[in-house]
Amino acid sequence: MKALKISKLPDDAIRELLLSLFERKKIGGVFALAKTNTHNYAYALITNKELLKNITPTIPLMPANAGKLLSRLTMIEPVSTPIAVVVRPCELRALFELVKLEQAKLDNLLFVSFTCSGVYPTRFMIDGIENKLKAYWENIRTGQILQDLRESCRICENFVPDNADIILTLMGKDNSNESILLIKTEKGKNFLEDKSGQLIEADLELKKIENMRSKRIDEKKRVFADLKTEDFGIKGLTEIFGRCINCHACSKACPVCYCKLCYFESSESEYSSSTLEKELNKRGAVRLPTDTVFYHVGRLIHVGITCVGCGMCSDACPTSIPVFTIFNKTAEHVQQLFDYIPGRKIDEQIPLSTFNKKEFEEVED
Amino acid sequence: MKGKIITSQNGLNQAIKGILKSLLEKGLFDAILVPTRVPSGESFVYLLIKDKNLIESCTPLPPIMPIQGARALRELTRLGKTSLKILCVMRPCEVRASVELSKLKQVNLENISFMSIDCPGAFILKDYINDPEKFDKLYQNTLKDWEGENIRPSCNICVRFSHQDTPADIHIGKIGMKENGVIIVPLSTQSNELLSKIDIECTQETTEWQTGIKEKLQKKAENRNKAFSELKGNVSGMENLNNFFSNCINCHNCMRVCPICYCRQCFFDSSDEVRIAAENYFSRAQNKGGIKFPTDMIFFHLGRMSHMGISCIGCGACEDACPMDVPIAQVFEFMADELQKMFNYIPGRDREEQIPVLIYKEDELHEYEDMEDLK
Amino acid sequence: MTEDSLPRIVGFLCKWCSYAGADLAGVSRLKMPASLVPIRVMCSSRVNPLFVLKAFLSGADGILVTGCHPGDCHYQDGNYYTRRRFALTQKIFKELGLEADRIRLSWISASEGKRFVDVVTEFTENLKTMGKNSIKAEIFL
Repeated sequence: MKALKISKLPDDAIRELLLSLFERKKIGGVFALAKTNTHNYAYALITNKELLKNITPTIPLMPANAGKLLSRLTMIEPVSTPIAVVVRPCELRALFELVKLEQAKLDNLLFVSFTCSGVYPTRFMIDGIENKLKAYWENIRTGQILQDLRESCRICENFVPDNADIILTLMGKDNSNESILLIKTEKGKNFLEDKSGQLIEADLELKKIENMRSKRIDEKKRVFADLKTEDFGIKGLTEIFGRCINCHACSKACPVCYCKLCYFESSESEYSSSTLEKELNKRGAVRLPTDTVFYHVGRLIHVGITCVGCGMCSDACPTSIPVFTIFNKTAEHVQQLFDYIPGRKIDEQIPLSTFNKKEFEEVED
Repeated sequence: MKGKIITSQNGLNQAIKGILKSLLEKGLFDAILVPTRVPSGESFVYLLIKDKNLIESCTPLPPIMPIQGARALRELTRLGKTSLKILCVMRPCEVRASVELSKLKQVNLENISFMSIDCPGAFILKDYINDPEKFDKLYQNTLKDWEGENIRPSCNICVRFSHQDTPADIHIGKIGMKENGVIIVPLSTQSNELLSKIDIECTQETTEWQTGIKEKLQKKAENRNKAFSELKGNVSGMENLNNFFSNCINCHNCMRVCPICYCRQCFFDSSDEVRIAAENYFSRAQNKGGIKFPTDMIFFHLGRMSHMGISCIGCGACEDACPMDVPIAQVFEFMADELQKMFNYIPGRDREEQIPVLIYKEDELHEYEDMEDLK
Repeated sequence: MTEDSLPRIVGFLCKWCSYAGADLAGVSRLKMPASLVPIRVMCSSRVNPLFVLKAFLSGADGILVTGCHPGDCHYQDGNYYTRRRFALTQKIFKELGLEADRIRLSWISASEGKRFVDVVTEFTENLKTMGKNSIKAEIFL
């Protein structure tokens, strides 16, 4: 596959690419992570090329899942000016799911992504992660899994952005002056057609990717085995969600939980006092706020099939409930049931919005 | 004000449980809403308890406030009054929040009575959940000295930690009392009669307790002034505000856990704010060269402040729930204090007092308007 | 046998087939245990998986979702969606250690009064051997 070789650091290489797209009027904007403060980072839509110096696409943080943000941007209409979107693979997958759910539009978006080594918990941003970067890049080079990364990243198998138009290869690289940008799609080619500079032949660093993937799978096996969700039962669920303060941050942070008004916040989920008094008579006592387990398992039923495993839920939980681990482990079983990987292909339907006439005969009678 | 002093060898919580049990046994209340430790032990939730055997498991004054009591009561009575007579055992700020919500028609106070407890403050939720054992031990000292380093900032500057401005029916006092002393104070004639039915005759003087409160109040007021004057410099002007909220990830958790923020769907999560055309975002970006996503972070915080600031209780639930440790309660309390002073209003102080923004006087606030002829 | 020792089943009956099947069982004077609390829905696909979960968490001993046989749906293909949702819900129940045997999906046509009785009777017997749903007594939900 054709690739662009830029003798710069990864972030600078992406900046140079975007700058040239700007200058050749191929794009009118960039959507990427940018530095907003001494050690704060946030996604931004940038239309002035002078401000491109602020973008930091590879900074290992995910203050919000960009899929959710791009759905905000394109919910009503596609962008009319082409923009380059620099996001991580799970954010791209989330966006694809949201497009299937008619919450976003892909037109005029050029996707730039990279083989992802994961991000730190967003809380690390409070004290700044600058001093972590050296260790982060060192581990990318040696192909190790950093233990203080988000759990979701440590166990992620889908870290290659298959759907991106341009892929920066990072796996096994160090933060050095040699960046390879693979031009994966026709669309990518079109955007780069008259770009001057050295085009080479290159491919994904397959061996290193496989190496990393097998390490992550081992890690996943370990993490999933540690949390024995299959033994939870109602006792286990009430224990693990016991400290839930019903803030619903997990749903707010979740990219695929797109309802403006969640069922569990709507009037449908409110009870009259007489209903609660009936429960009181039945059980001797009632927990208030109610429906903690109902909310979590209910949300799992609603979005488990489209869970992209980004880990935003655990990140946002103020009482550090392992929401991600419970969700992702269960979701994986559900997704296997339908042989579905969320966000893998744009034309693959979400299993619950389609059917085969002959299937699942074991559940019916 | 009269009260009844009892001594409890096993601490404040045990003493309160005794009272709750007798109230339930005598049928004076049908059920009790009271914090209880969760089965896994690292947190507390509100339980509405009818079975008197379950009272033993409750913790009337827990070391943390994971769920603001008014939220629990709101869920119970939002759609109408209860048919059962219920006693809510709460911290003073939770009682005030409940009363404030009743003015907003989100809580129905018919059949509801309140027992408030002298509050030493609560620990930071995240700290406690990480090491409940350590903080349970620390809490024993906090209950003794009414002082502690690990108390939440909002509690450190709270000046309504006892019966002051709290329209409860029964108050349990501890501040300034000698070792093991607990004082039961009925705050109305009805509750006086109620207590006498469980053989608690409230005839003793309350001077010891009142002196204790006065001393504590002085200290807390000092803390408050100091904190506010420090804060003032940090949040004035757009740049400072932006820095103050720079860690915000727009999860809106502060709003979700706020007892006063009762809207099912917040304006800032509604179509008006969420369904915006791409072109709109684009033109905003072009004005400045770029725009942060999600947008409107400051709009959310200041907007929320303008919506509920006048009713802000200062309970600090917002700060506890912030996954990014933004010291949000402090700035809200600071602004709320200013707003409430404008109308000489203390939220939740009085059941009859109306929320200032829901009423008006014809002759007021002239300093904010302009009626003169222009020269 | 007293009413109390019978399991409680919350049944979602599709208006076009299963409810009519239940009706036929009634007019044919067929006998079955009085364990079913029927709820009529326009189609089995109207049953949000949350209904099933909520009934389960509220302490129902069994939850029965019924509808037209595949291919016979009044709305062409509603029950195919039901089957997928049910498979998903059951999977999640299993993966979280919840008693998945308490939920059941059965196709019963308007002419199958006898089958309706058989399904309810069999399900009731199965639930009896499982015992009461212990969630009924759970406080910290």
